[in-house]
Amino acid sequence: MTGTLISLISILIGIISANLFGYFNKKYTFGFKGNTLIGVFGSVLLIKSFGRLGFDPWSIMNNGDFDGLRLLINIVVSALGGLLGLVFAKWIYLKMNKKLEN
Amino acid sequence: MEDMIFYDRLQFAFTITFHYIFPQLTMGLSLMIVYFKWKYLRTKIDKFNNAAKFFMKIFAINFTMGVVTGIPMEFQFGTNWAKFSELTGGIIGQTLAMEGMFSFFLESSFLALFIFGEKLMGQKLHFLTGFLVFLGSWASGWFILATNAWMQHPVGYEILDNGKFVLENFSALFTNPWLLPAFLHNQMASVVTSAFVMASIGAFYILRNKHSEYGKLFLKTGVVFGLISSVLVAFPTGDWNAKNVAKYQPGTFAAMEGIFETEEAGAEIVLIGQPNMVAKKLDNKIAVPNILSFLTYQEWDKQIPGMDQFEDDELPDNIPALYYSYHIMVGLGTIFIGVMALALFLLWRKKLYNIKPLLWTIMFLVPFPYIANITGWYTAELGRQPYLVYGLLRTSDGISPTVSSGNTLFTLLGFVALYMLLGLLFLVLVGKTINEGPTPKTH
Repeated sequence: MTGTLISLISILIGIISANLFGYFNKKYTFGFKGNTLIGVFGSVLLIKSFGRLGFDPWSIMNNGDFDGLRLLINIVVSALGGLLGLVFAKWIYLKMNKKLEN
Repeated sequence: MEDMIFYDRLQFAFTITFHYIFPQLTMGLSLMIVYFKWKYLRTKIDKFNNAAKFFMKIFAINFTMGVVTGIPMEFQFGTNWAKFSELTGGIIGQTLAMEGMFSFFLESSFLALFIFGEKLMGQKLHFLTGFLVFLGSWASGWFILATNAWMQHPVGYEILDNGKFVLENFSALFTNPWLLPAFLHNQMASVVTSAFVMASIGAFYILRNKHSEYGKLFLKTGVVFGLISSVLVAFPTGDWNAKNVAKYQPGTFAAMEGIFETEEAGAEIVLIGQPNMVAKKLDNKIAVPNILSFLTYQEWDKQIPGMDQFEDDELPDNIPALYYSYHIMVGLGTIFIGVMALALFLLWRKKLYNIKPLLWTIMFLVPFPYIANITGWYTAELGRQPYLVYGLLRTSDGISPTVSSGNTLFTLLGFVALYMLLGLLFLVLVGKTINEGPTPKTH
């Protein structure tokens, strides 16, 4: 049950990390709205893709036996998801608009 | 045990109610975005293109919130409803997986292309991406409704010796007689929500004297879509749904209409009244004789079985909640038709933009289509009780037996706190978008 809450907390971490990264690296920012949306998808994508290596919400709760280290890894990966999501989105954005500038 | 069922149901009701705030707008809005984009292709007037892009931003925020609030639902199937998932996974797993694989990916991929790729793709391809976003969001609704239709009226299944349901006929899932009317009714209701949101933003811009040109466009489009969809929600889609309930779930039909006793010569339609579960009658009732029989069977004197014809365990377990949900939905739907018909009349008379009380009314009506949509879903879900799969699997047999009610209550409180935060974030994002307006920024 608590695992379900952890899945939401991961997303919030993704939102926060994308916004912080965008704030300190203006080159990558899409504004508050864009960073927030990208943060959600970035963290969901990374946790869904790699969480089964051992840090998805199920593994963290491990049948009711909470594992703090796995939670920490989950949080770091979620934050990374938000950050990488922003870098990837900017790359796509520039790729798509490059043709026009040439 | 009773406690466990109550808290499991409460938690699911809370999370799915909050979740459904978002998809109901995206499904309707995608249709209106396609309309704006199509108008732009035909007329080459920039304001239509700007309107499409503006509403796609609002769509994107809602879509993202829908994704965030949808994730806990997926977990809840495993945590709170493990027996249900174990027994019916062979059937509902098919439609839910198709929803994820086909619709969600279609919607999210082309949403990104629509937002980023206009200049690169050109206008015709940009229109196509908008259309594919629309297709994805409606297909998503189709697969979810197919799942729900099977729970309301199970078809094409076989029950194994171990109690598990397996699919015997795949196509039966999509030709289920419950599905098409429920889908059309649901989609039209989502267009009502979107139309009211659009009209409300338009009224706001006109009243604030800001982005007035767009305000008029949004109000006009919202009113036209609003009236058409409000009528279609009632007839034929709502009517078709009600006939399905009368045919396949007669006990539910009697409860939602508030028919406690069977009347010999035709059933009346109740406009107002409060169910009295002790005396088994409606208090302070205002009803019109024989109308319900006519609406359901096109025969004035046709008998409709009342609740007295059913055993207690054949009836929904919360009759007042079902009755009120249904009547709130119908009452609000009637008000929507009235308001939108008046607005369209004044639009035709070229007076709508100047009548401030009506503009204020349209602006403040915006929460009500959400309430109508949600009470509509409550009607369907409360009406199916005490079953998860109508007539076959009781709700009490679908919960996870090892999850305590205290555990469910604790996580419910966690959801309430997190969703408040998400709700605030959503309001800030949408508020910022509306405040910036649809006029493109000039650098």
